[in-house]
Amino acid sequence: MTVTLQDLRLADPRLSRFDPMRRIVCFDDFDRGYCGWTQLVGNYEHTLDSMTASYAAHTHPQLATVSHWDAGTHGGVDGTYALKIATRPKRGIRSTAIKRLTFREAGPIRLEFYFTFKPEATELRLSETDVRSVGFLYDLQTGYEQNGLRVMPHIRFLNAEDGKHVQRWQYKDETTAVREIGTEGKTATHDHLAPFGWKDIPGGEQKLCYNEIPTKINWHYMRFDFDLATMRMIEMQCNDRRYDLAGIPSIVMPAMRNLWCMLNLVFFAEAETDKRVFLYIDSVCLSGEF
Amino acid sequence: MLRESHTAVVARNERWQGEAATEPFEAGWASEAIFFLRALAAEGPTGEGRAHVQISPDGMRWIDEGTAAPVPDAAEGIAVLRVAHFGAWLRLRVTLPAGATLTPLVTLSLKA
Repeated sequence: MTVTLQDLRLADPRLSRFDPMRRIVCFDDFDRGYCGWTQLVGNYEHTLDSMTASYAAHTHPQLATVSHWDAGTHGGVDGTYALKIATRPKRGIRSTAIKRLTFREAGPIRLEFYFTFKPEATELRLSETDVRSVGFLYDLQTGYEQNGLRVMPHIRFLNAEDGKHVQRWQYKDETTAVREIGTEGKTATHDHLAPFGWKDIPGGEQKLCYNEIPTKINWHYMRFDFDLATMRMIEMQCNDRRYDLAGIPSIVMPAMRNLWCMLNLVFFAEAETDKRVFLYIDSVCLSGEF
Repeated sequence: MLRESHTAVVARNERWQGEAATEPFEAGWASEAIFFLRALAAEGPTGEGRAHVQISPDGMRWIDEGTAAPVPDAAEGIAVLRVAHFGAWLRLRVTLPAGATLTPLVTLSLKA
């Protein structure tokens, strides 16, 4: 009997819930700690006052037990801890968590993770329209010998907008103008998550399990395939639904002077009401075909 | 296994007056914590203010844990508040007298 790589992975309960490409770049099980996920701080020079306000509002990610006032600890997909991205309690505000890598092979990569989201359980009602969105993005830049592009594929699940339970996947291919920061000519910023320019992914409606009170969560599977050679999206899958992303554009801008081969992963959440919003991630698997 | 350790910046460059608090922070995995309250800027009688560690059963309802310290009275002053046996949630509450404005950097050092 020949044992394949897939057989080995299916025999490992930590990996059997993923379908990684040939090489696992990182496997972040938050029962082992933060695994390199941290706060996305905005750029600044000389003074923190030069930071863009929407970045200054980001909070620090937490290792959470997904605990609630009525039923105690929920826990993760397996084990106790999940990564928690929490917004402040203000309509329209967002928060993020980031992991900063670089790539060594410009080819297909696959991001897989399990996620769930809820607003803070401050009311005795389902509150299903209090989370505006949750999502993820890559912040990428080609290698110095490649074609000099910074590319930022953005995907979000628009859960609710203006009180409507929308439940639709969207992408974004626009950002703000680049703003130079400080006086040394070394730092700039743009607000790629600024709340404009989100567009519907064709056929992107999806009814996710949301459960029946604000403290009951169910974990969802997500897979996102991207090609670092062409800098194009390929496909994504959420639970039982697959989406062809071949024609979906990313935010693209000229390369920046100090970001070559950048491979940043970001999760984010946006609040729809003046209530904290929590995005929980339990285990992330980034893999590549190399 | 090495002991898990993490430094979280839970408030940065805000303008605090009167009553203020950091956002709730979950750290049930940690058995000890230190809040460092650094003044990036201090205007008025900030040194008459008090910082209090708070704990919570659910991240929404807050109780003073008992550890407290004076707020720094000048820029680059740092107050230190050490706690252990704090459950799952932590935050720092600050009270400032009239006329005082604190620009804080609050660093939470956690260790399993």
